[in-house]
Amino acid sequence: MDDRRRRFEVLVLPHLDAAYRFARWLSHSPGDADDVVQEAILRAFRGFDALRGSDVKAWLLTIVRNCHLTAVKQQQRRGFVPLPEEHDAQDGPAMIATTPDPESTSIRRDEERTLDRLMSALPEEHREILVLREIEEMDYREIAAVTNVPIGTVMSRLARARAALKGRWLQEAEGEPHAVR
Amino acid sequence: MRCAESPRVQAYFDGELDALSAADIERHSEACAECRELLEDLEQMRTALRQDLTYATTPPALRARIMRALDQESTVQSPRLNAQRLTSWRPRPFWKGAFSGIAGTAIAASIAYFLLAPTLTNPLLDDLVSAHVRSLMPDHLIDVGSTDKHTVKPWFAGHADVSPVVADFAQQGYRLIGGRADYLDHQRAAVVVYQHGSHVINVFSWAATKAGVPKNTTRNGYHLAFWRTGNLEYCAVSDTGWDELNGLVQLLQDLGAHDNRE
Repeated sequence: MDDRRRRFEVLVLPHLDAAYRFARWLSHSPGDADDVVQEAILRAFRGFDALRGSDVKAWLLTIVRNCHLTAVKQQQRRGFVPLPEEHDAQDGPAMIATTPDPESTSIRRDEERTLDRLMSALPEEHREILVLREIEEMDYREIAAVTNVPIGTVMSRLARARAALKGRWLQEAEGEPHAVR
Repeated sequence: MRCAESPRVQAYFDGELDALSAADIERHSEACAECRELLEDLEQMRTALRQDLTYATTPPALRARIMRALDQESTVQSPRLNAQRLTSWRPRPFWKGAFSGIAGTAIAASIAYFLLAPTLTNPLLDDLVSAHVRSLMPDHLIDVGSTDKHTVKPWFAGHADVSPVVADFAQQGYRLIGGRADYLDHQRAAVVVYQHGSHVINVFSWAATKAGVPKNTTRNGYHLAFWRTGNLEYCAVSDTGWDELNGLVQLLQDLGAHDNRE
């Protein structure tokens, strides 16, 4: 293996799981997410030499996001209309745990499904920013870089996204009092 | 009504405040019930999301697919490197089976490549790319800075073994910014430096050898365009697109042909 490839594997591939998770939350189907991640990694490999600085994860997730946007545009050009997001939410969680948790009780699984469903039903820009902040634990500056908006917008969008998720959560709790606190 | 401090409370929760402002917010939320509640909500939501949504990892099949794609990508980009892999090759579990066929083909192809294109087995390509990369570091780009070809060209007389075509193509978008001498292929090569937009294009030139001119290629993301004019061999290196690079190559070739006629 040549040096460049080895460097790529050491610096970039540790963030493959983050790239995959992010793509899963952005894409409409697991198959789409797979394609987006593969395309993103190849693009990252081709553009690896242009990488300056150390923020590899933000750089990679930016590429994932661009690949996703390109894929969506292509689907729209081909006349493929994705299912409304609310339907996705009813079909099942956007993200299925691949590692089974032996401790899971059925109540816990219910909560997971509920949260998955609530997240899936959020507008894309809200879902995206919540995943970057809460799951990937990125700071505002990194989120601003990935989503290509000013830090002020990151702050207001994050506040709106959190309020939206909380709102849906409360609604859910009212509908099914025993499912969620 | 929302407390006016709630944006800063969120920033505090996300660890975005400096120590002074953080202390400020801590004091404030002791007094403000609304902000205390906001902090509890934020914490509760974070805990729930992190507990319930963080399990997904890349499926092994996808990971293997990506590694294969990467390998093909490296094969396409730099055929010579496969030969190095032949000596330092270490098998990986997921390469066994289907992929061994591809690797075998790649290695066979690279051996064929060696036999068919002996000029590419010399370290010239690597030298050119590293010279280009080194030139992009501060203070390494130019030895003689001038946009005037009558300043740059004579400078080479004392500093390089060859006297290449030098011209300013600012009107066509390729601004002459200077010259440099680099040691390349056991001789002092002349390097003419152009700027195209935000990109630097290094045009290397050295005395041609009997071996043929290498084919245009891409190395580590840099394009290398080769040509020969008279008894000089040229190579333009840059991270521009091929079209932009070939634009300059065309201009230099035309000028070289013109010079030769005179």
